[in-house]
Amino acid sequence: MAIDKEQLKLVAEKSRITDISLAAEGHKAIAWASRNSPVLNGLLRKTLEDGSFKNKKVALVIHLEAKTAFLATVLADAGAKVVVAGSNPHSTKDVVAAALVEKGIEVHASENSSYEQWDRDLLAVADTEPEYIIDDGAELTIRMAKHRPQLFAKLKGVSEETTTGVARLRGLFEAGRLPFAAMAANDAACKHMFDNKYGTGQSTVQAILSLTNLLMAGKKVAIIGYGWVGRGIADYVRAMGGTAIIIEVKPVQALEAFSDGHRVASIDKALVDADIVITATGGMRALASRHFKYLKNNVILANAGHHDLEIDVDALKEESSEVVEIRKGVSCFTWKDGKMINVLSYGALVNISGGLGHPIEIMDLSFAVQGLSSHELIVSSYEPGVHVLPDHLDQEIARARLQYEGISLDTLTDDQFDSIDKWLEADND
Amino acid sequence: MTNTFSNIVSLDLAKEGLGKIQWAKRFMPVMEFIKEQCIDKGSLKGRRVGIILTLEPKTANLAIALQEAGAKVSVFCHSTSTTDSVAAALTSLGIKVFARSDADSDMDEILLNRFLDQQLEFLIDDGAGGIRYLHEKRKDLLPFIKGVAEETTSGIRPLRVMEKEGSLLVPCVSVNDAKTKQLFDNVYGTGQSVVAALLDITNIQMQGKTVVVVGYGYVGKGIAKYAHAYGAKVYVTEVDPVQALIAVHDGYTVKKLSTMCPTADIFITATGIGYSLTSDHMRKMKDGAIIIVGGAGQPEVDLGGEKQLKLGSWAREHLREVSIGDNKSVFLIDDGHCANCSAREGNPVEIMDLSLSVQMAAILFLAENEDSLENKIYSISKEVDDLVATACLNSLGAELDEPSEKQIEHANSWKHDNII
Repeated sequence: MAIDKEQLKLVAEKSRITDISLAAEGHKAIAWASRNSPVLNGLLRKTLEDGSFKNKKVALVIHLEAKTAFLATVLADAGAKVVVAGSNPHSTKDVVAAALVEKGIEVHASENSSYEQWDRDLLAVADTEPEYIIDDGAELTIRMAKHRPQLFAKLKGVSEETTTGVARLRGLFEAGRLPFAAMAANDAACKHMFDNKYGTGQSTVQAILSLTNLLMAGKKVAIIGYGWVGRGIADYVRAMGGTAIIIEVKPVQALEAFSDGHRVASIDKALVDADIVITATGGMRALASRHFKYLKNNVILANAGHHDLEIDVDALKEESSEVVEIRKGVSCFTWKDGKMINVLSYGALVNISGGLGHPIEIMDLSFAVQGLSSHELIVSSYEPGVHVLPDHLDQEIARARLQYEGISLDTLTDDQFDSIDKWLEADND
Repeated sequence: MTNTFSNIVSLDLAKEGLGKIQWAKRFMPVMEFIKEQCIDKGSLKGRRVGIILTLEPKTANLAIALQEAGAKVSVFCHSTSTTDSVAAALTSLGIKVFARSDADSDMDEILLNRFLDQQLEFLIDDGAGGIRYLHEKRKDLLPFIKGVAEETTSGIRPLRVMEKEGSLLVPCVSVNDAKTKQLFDNVYGTGQSVVAALLDITNIQMQGKTVVVVGYGYVGKGIAKYAHAYGAKVYVTEVDPVQALIAVHDGYTVKKLSTMCPTADIFITATGIGYSLTSDHMRKMKDGAIIIVGGAGQPEVDLGGEKQLKLGSWAREHLREVSIGDNKSVFLIDDGHCANCSAREGNPVEIMDLSLSVQMAAILFLAENEDSLENKIYSISKEVDDLVATACLNSLGAELDEPSEKQIEHANSWKHDNII
């Protein structure tokens, strides 16, 4: 994608980033992501060769780091006019934002911005009048619905990354306020079965160990929520030698955790034992003021859900006499009874704010889903409502990844099918 | 080189360093317990103790504990393993620190000499670097030395060679051979931290990766365990048949390294021996393969040989591209240094609590027995191992059974007592 100086100047003027001179580091990071993204470089690029994205205005609102940036370049290479913002005020990497602008892509994001600034950035993206949104947590979609109703009405489709965002879109639809088709990218198998479970699982455990320099072996780890994210975290905690204690509100999920061999307990009992507490609910205030009294001295709290509000850090601060950042990313609160409570990344998503986010290969799958879901929205006509990527496309993504690994699959022969027609036709009475 | 530079980079960094040291201290209950023992016995009071270890928050706590037990403590560390803020923090506490992250090799040698000139009586060594230097270049200072405690497998190897030759001139304790050191530090500590460093530096996924662990000692065992735990397919290469057989029984496939080169995604060396993975191997690897050292560092992975390979540009922080021809590249983490220490924070705190507590107990042993020791390598006694393990279990709230009288009687008899 060649870009001349005039264009670059224009894009830089429209964008709001910290400093374009940081771009060199960002280009390296994007190149490394590209090197490890076989599905985006293969299947997705090939699919987009049909020209369907040409001059389409696409807003990309996902945690703005190297992997997301790489997706933006793939879409731009296919002719889309891409505008990018972060899906969280704390997860943007300035070097990556700078590199994108240097590649001619408009960006509205900066590292550790305030909530207010982040809101303004999202509305700035809304004002570019996107036709399609690739969203995370439906953060741009819900803001457009509320603050830019006229532009919202012109939207042609949204593809959504997360469990939380899909629930929000379904809520909008049920309220009669979703006049276009949305794709629940999250609900594709190649997304939630890998991203939510293995991606968040590996990167959350990894970030906690890296931020604290502590050992997992022998630790008791309370995990609040046993959805796909909770399952993945529990798996890796156990694999690294820790003991997971699951806290759930849904009986089926709790029974699943129990059957997976984890301890299951009510939150008061679990917290009393826990060395580490991880929130993975996708909701808010999973760990709040009423729970603090159960926490052990020196406990470590980390959030792996969607919101930065799963741990009520504001309440904790209010009830504490002192807060010190004792290590990078580790805030130590001295609570009113004198015990130390350590919060990682100040309650923001620990794997993204305190680590490198999901592994690249996992995002290669997730973004392949996002890319193909957006492509579906453009080339096929879907009714207003929340849809899921057709199964055959899900299978294509998995097949592309397996092919890259040099793995080929068996196919069923005709006589291996169990078919009711065959049974009815057969002479077997 | 002028010999007037100061021993640390800057005292201004002390506050940051003290914070890091305090964090580690919270997770080091065993060290606190052993320190109390040292204080009770009083035998370290006024003694000159030198420490050569990677200079970071955990080892800093060992230096502080020794100081609190009454010793006069000096610390040396090579530039590549020095955290300047920790050096500053220790200096602010009155410990003599000789370590600068910005030192070149000449400067490092000057710092080492300044450190040794403290006329140390006891030395805590890493890789036998200090003790070998004393034997090679500073024999004049050997008479001051009452004993040395050595931390690592790779340091014990040359000491055993010296012992066998009869050239070892001081008593040594092999801290590495302590059960509470090598069964935990080498296995769980290095295992978790090397795999974590790899993931942290590369941002890659472990699930489904073909990982080759070169060498199946305690370190290799730990690395294989954690790579497997994260979902990798693990292969082991070995030169020792018994170790290879253990690897097979732990569920790994054992192959020659050269066999694995064309197909594996990640190579982790854990041999502690130079030239374990060379440019000849690298040339056979597939494009994009990643190499990381979990053993003893350079020259464990060697780019030299007949057709030398060259380090290329940095692909990411701590990750360097090495072109192997045919438009193919492999990636070497931190230029072949032992990456969990050089690029990350080393072993987890709780693990180092065990290892460093054994170090402290070893110094106590040397001080208590200094008049009767010979110039050979001593092992850590079962009593020390049991003391350290018990202190750790107590801090975790674990419970131990005690053998009954009948069990003890049975354990100590040889006659059949149940013949029908």
